Amino acid sequence: MTDHFTEDDVLAAIPRLTRVQLFTFLEARIVVPFHTETGLVYRPVDIARMELLCDLTEDLELGADSLSVVMSLIDQLHTARRDLRVIINAIAVQPPEVKARIAATVNGA
Amino acid sequence: MSDDPYADLGLTKTASAEDIKKAYRKLVRTSHPDLHPDDPGAEARFKSIAAAHDLLKDPETRARFDAGEIDATGAERPDRRYYRDFADAPGNPYQQRRGFDAGGDPDDFFAEFLRQQARGGAERGPQGFGDRGFTAPGADLRYTMELPFLDAARGAKTRITLPGGGMLDVQIPQGTVDGQTLRLRGKGAPGYGGGPPGDALVTMTVHPHPVFRRDGDDILITLPITIDEAILGAKVPVPTIDGTVSLSIPSGASSGRILRLRGRGVRRGKSEPGDQRVELKIMMPARVDDPLRSFMKTWQETNAYDPRAGLFEEVAK
Repeated sequence: MTDHFTEDDVLAAIPRLTRVQLFTFLEARIVVPFHTETGLVYRPVDIARMELLCDLTEDLELGADSLSVVMSLIDQLHTARRDLRVIINAIAVQPPEVKARIAATVNGA
Repeated sequence: MSDDPYADLGLTKTASAEDIKKAYRKLVRTSHPDLHPDDPGAEARFKSIAAAHDLLKDPETRARFDAGEIDATGAERPDRRYYRDFADAPGNPYQQRRGFDAGGDPDDFFAEFLRQQARGGAERGPQGFGDRGFTAPGADLRYTMELPFLDAARGAKTRITLPGGGMLDVQIPQGTVDGQTLRLRGKGAPGYGGGPPGDALVTMTVHPHPVFRRDGDDILITLPITIDEAILGAKVPVPTIDGTVSLSIPSGASSGRILRLRGRGVRRGKSEPGDQRVELKIMMPARVDDPLRSFMKTWQETNAYDPRAGLFEEVAK
């Protein structure tokens, strides 16, 4: 199992994905593969992302424009979740009195 | 999945093709793991409804299932990795902001947070979202670029070619380290509905240099010296990242001794520049000739010394 996929590997890994569709994803910059001297290279994250894109375009029949918006929102959601978790982890290692103060501030807000 | 794909979709055998499609779409909305990253049961639910849909969407396989020719497991999907499993991982290239994983100052997070609030607020105006239709900032775009060692250490102006054929000018700051990501504001994808463009994030891969190495802001170099320079002391030229300087080798210096050229390392921002650390390495002459041999012989007879004495005592301890 390699970490890098060529365009043909991608199409083999996701049978329902067509080359034309892949190009629309690239053109819309919804999928941004890695650039190397030998050409575009896709990572496992790109494969998983395109599986999701296929679900959204085929099953939910999202159009190209709405797809960009939805993916941007999903990405923002994941980033926000990650930031939140980092904050929670940071709070978790604080002394009890700091935690209590933060809890009081959150409840008062 | 259960034995009954109809039940998985909340339907009965009398459902029409349109019913199946509708029911499936509705369940995708509520159960797709990537649309519900916090729902631990979503993956199992989605797997069973997707399998049920695979079986029933095709009139032919549906008819064969109805006739009892195939069972529901015939449509089992192979395991798949969901986007949400990657989306949370550090270094996800589709992350919308840098987050904390670049080793940034925690204050940067709050500054960024306020910046985004201010940016969003100014775009939306006092009326909030509804009145002006939907706007969203454009996505951040990720690039990687390979950088010669000296360009990273000294800073440089360079440009990268974008996949679309455009060029992007990049100012490499002094003291850029391997793996560092530069953020170019507003150079990402265009925004939606008049929203601001995203940023371009350029991750640097710094090539090693045949002579210089880096340790933080210090530059490390191994300097070959002659046996006579080591014994007598000398002034020798030494390359630094900013040109050649002269270094005094003290008389009697051993191999491995490190001399420090203050302020000749990497200058980063406003902080004190690093040093260049020069490790001496005594090189024998290409040929040991007779005068040298006979001199050493004579010298050895009256000046024997044992640099390994301490070594064996340490081992014996």
